[in-house]
Amino acid sequence: MNLTINSRAPQTDVRILDVEGEVDVYTSASLKQEISAAVSDGVKYIVLNLSKVEYLDSTGLGLLIGALKRLKENQGNLVIASPSVRIMRVFEITGLYKIFSIYPTEAEAAEKEGLQL
Amino acid sequence: MTEHAAPGTSAQIEPATVTLTIPCTAEYVSVARLAILGIASRMPFSYDEVEDVRLAVGEACTHAVERAAAAEAESRRVAALTGSGAASKKSPAITITSMVSPKTLTIEVADNVAATSGEAGTLPDEFDDPDVDHQGLGALLIEILVDEVTIDTRADGTTIRLKKHAPAAT
Repeated sequence: MNLTINSRAPQTDVRILDVEGEVDVYTSASLKQEISAAVSDGVKYIVLNLSKVEYLDSTGLGLLIGALKRLKENQGNLVIASPSVRIMRVFEITGLYKIFSIYPTEAEAAEKEGLQL
Repeated sequence: MTEHAAPGTSAQIEPATVTLTIPCTAEYVSVARLAILGIASRMPFSYDEVEDVRLAVGEACTHAVERAAAAEAESRRVAALTGSGAASKKSPAITITSMVSPKTLTIEVADNVAATSGEAGTLPDEFDDPDVDHQGLGALLIEILVDEVTIDTRADGTTIRLKKHAPAAT
């Protein structure tokens, strides 16, 4: 399975990316492109809905860390919503759950981050 | 892919061996993961353990692919500096050998990617944060996900050997 990304823009500076499939060394370039395009458009907050992501490796994690840093520099944030148990485990065993804002649902992410989704 | 079944008459059962060779390119890493998923599913592993093995093998293959990209970039840089054409050579490949025994799954991920000078293989872009060590993250994941890891680095390639033990029967 490859990667499909659906983009939603509920606010001018907020982008929700619904990601589906496997994020790995082959597919992460398309996610990187999508995030890069959003940042270039002036987006400060990116919500990544990972509910349909079934695989995430170190390439994907590295990309997310770079994106988080870039958005934080712009006083924004990269928010992770709805990761499956399996994907959450990858964040946990690497300790990266400490640096990302991760929420079980999009609604909770919106509430806690003060976003209108 | 070849599979060699262990002879049933021997006193000690030899591990069944499955060998898969893929091109050392990003698009084939998922093929290796898929094969490992099938092999690990034959072991008395839990769902999480099977997924751990799949991710560990994916990381080992990714390590090879990234090194192959770095070697290719270095080869092009040298060719550009010297004004010579890049030397023609065999395409890099990854051979994944899985040895299935009743209590242990041993997987060797061997590539034929020659060592480079260690310079970065690809040009950084805005999301390639120099503070983020992708390969370090991958190595960390492998260490956590399997029970034993050994890395044999040679001039003509690297072999990563992973072992995952089945839980003791209760």
